[in-house]
Amino acid sequence: MAELWAALPNAAQDLLLALALVAPGLLAGALVLRGLRPLPLVGAMLRRFAFVNALFVALIAVSVGLGVGLLAQERGLRQGSARAAEKFDLIVAAPGSEVTVMLAAVYLQPSDMALVTGPQYAEIAGAEGVAFAAPIAFGDSFQGAPVVGTTADFVTHLAGPLAEGRVFATSEEAVAGAFAPVAVGGSFTPAHGHGPMAEGDAHEGSAYTVTGRMAPTGSPWDRALLVPVEGVWEVHGLANGHAPDDLRIGPPFVPEMMPGTPAVLVHAAELWGNYALKSRFTRSDLMAFFPGTVLSQLHGLMRDVRSAMSLMAVLTQVLVTLSVLIGLMILVRLIARSLALLRAIGAPLRFVFAVVWAYSAALILSGAGLGLALGWGAARAISAAVTARTDVLVTANLGWPEAHLVAGFISLTLFMALLPAWLAVRRPLLTDLRT
Amino acid sequence: MTAPALLVEGLRVTSREGRVLLDVPQLALAPGQSLALRGASGAGKSTLLHVLSGLVRPTAGRVIWGGQDIAALTEDARARFRRETLGLVFQDCHLFEELSALGNAGLASAFAPASERAPIRNAAAEWLAVLGLAHAGARAVDSFSGGERQRIAVARALAGGPPVILADEPTAALDRANADALGADLVRLAAEGGRTLIVVTHDATLAARMGRQLTLADGRIVEDSDG
Repeated sequence: MAELWAALPNAAQDLLLALALVAPGLLAGALVLRGLRPLPLVGAMLRRFAFVNALFVALIAVSVGLGVGLLAQERGLRQGSARAAEKFDLIVAAPGSEVTVMLAAVYLQPSDMALVTGPQYAEIAGAEGVAFAAPIAFGDSFQGAPVVGTTADFVTHLAGPLAEGRVFATSEEAVAGAFAPVAVGGSFTPAHGHGPMAEGDAHEGSAYTVTGRMAPTGSPWDRALLVPVEGVWEVHGLANGHAPDDLRIGPPFVPEMMPGTPAVLVHAAELWGNYALKSRFTRSDLMAFFPGTVLSQLHGLMRDVRSAMSLMAVLTQVLVTLSVLIGLMILVRLIARSLALLRAIGAPLRFVFAVVWAYSAALILSGAGLGLALGWGAARAISAAVTARTDVLVTANLGWPEAHLVAGFISLTLFMALLPAWLAVRRPLLTDLRT
Repeated sequence: MTAPALLVEGLRVTSREGRVLLDVPQLALAPGQSLALRGASGAGKSTLLHVLSGLVRPTAGRVIWGGQDIAALTEDARARFRRETLGLVFQDCHLFEELSALGNAGLASAFAPASERAPIRNAAAEWLAVLGLAHAGARAVDSFSGGERQRIAVARALAGGPPVILADEPTAALDRANADALGADLVRLAAEGGRTLIVVTHDATLAARMGRQLTLADGRIVEDSDG
């Protein structure tokens, strides 16, 4: 059995699990409603106490929405951050914190870092199996967008063919990220630093002209302005990595003329080559790491947070399930007179039971459905806010974990709705009739 | 369906504290007879009606409708007895406010066996017409006057074709004109169908329309007279 289960595709396993979770509730419903037609009366009861019912549905919806939103959001963040890092095979930097370097080089979060020197860069770029080694030099910005010095190889590697224009060909040209604040043909002068502390006139007299625009990558690089690394060095009054009479841009650089770079993205000719390169450049004066591995370690650390969030979602569901149960018992008191009338004029107890259960089920299913939509909407809104703030494209879509959560909730509450239905048919008929 | 005869024997209903609420040693009612239950408030007339309808199980005694002692039945069996044999009319009409007049009159179709649903709905529409609400079936009941609402309740009681109608103060909430009209209709429709009619009422005019009147005091029948 276990082997058969393991042989099933993931989607089939998820679907079967969702069905298994929801089945007890639906089965209970099928047994309760078999051969009966309580829905017209249920509709009348729903309309009779529309406001109370709407509040009840809203309570369920908010609870389900919270659970669904939490799960979808967490997964969206994880996937978005991983997607943003997937083009960064191997990063070599001066020894320090891998996380800091990753945040700076991959997610373009400002950070002070030691530099990889010219000779070190030359050694990296010249190593066997290296397809290209792109310096990544950051520290400047324009209207909040990071200005990053690199090479044409990196631009193509990061975003593929440009959406518009061409790659920079001189140290005074730039390529804009998909959502960068400068159009093709426009010019900008970078500020030194980032944010409110940026020195806007530090590089006065220097300007870049945008010659191309990248396609969206779903990473913070979409808002960046990519310039030749030589341009970054030049606007800081440093040597530009080439001999004075050499006007070309891009590698190879003259080691002695290269001021250094905070990080180097290394792309190996073969996938396996990355491991050899990582091993080679992990040493006392250099640090090499796979951003994907660091991210995975971070996600691993966050697994506890994820577990806590999942637990919170489940606890919320349990609390709301209890609230639903108590609420249903209160609602049954509201409809007790109508139920007593049904019993008085000859409705079988099973029919009255079915009316109460179907009434509860209508509230639960409406709340759960609305909660799914609410959770999805909230996750989308939060994702949009996170994307706007970090430029990491976070897309929170509903997935199987949310489906399982909702299926379990529906099943449990539909099952629990049997209790108020049972209590309803045990109420004193005459007392309720006189209420 | 032919109206069943009613026979009550040794009927006693006591409260939890042991107070005697109803003590009727014997009562018989022929099929198709009409009976008014009269008496002061608390005399036991509504309790007697509830026992006769199976809504209350007596502490002792037998309530035999057509040879069947309903006091000995289970709750579901008594519900079935009410569904098949009785039409109940309450002082407060007890209508589903969000249903139409027809929806209320045909309420029993919601839980009747499938083969009886359409006949009940058709009968409900016919009774509404007979009671002067022919074109109002689709209207929500909250738009009707008190008298009209009680007519809808009467149509509901009749829709299942019961041989017995039990009414608890059916005209108490109505003005004189509406009370007289409804009382006359109740008696006429019961008589036309050969139905047994038992009405709890303080209304002397309505009681006078009945073939027989019982007066209760302290849970006992103190007067039994022809109407």
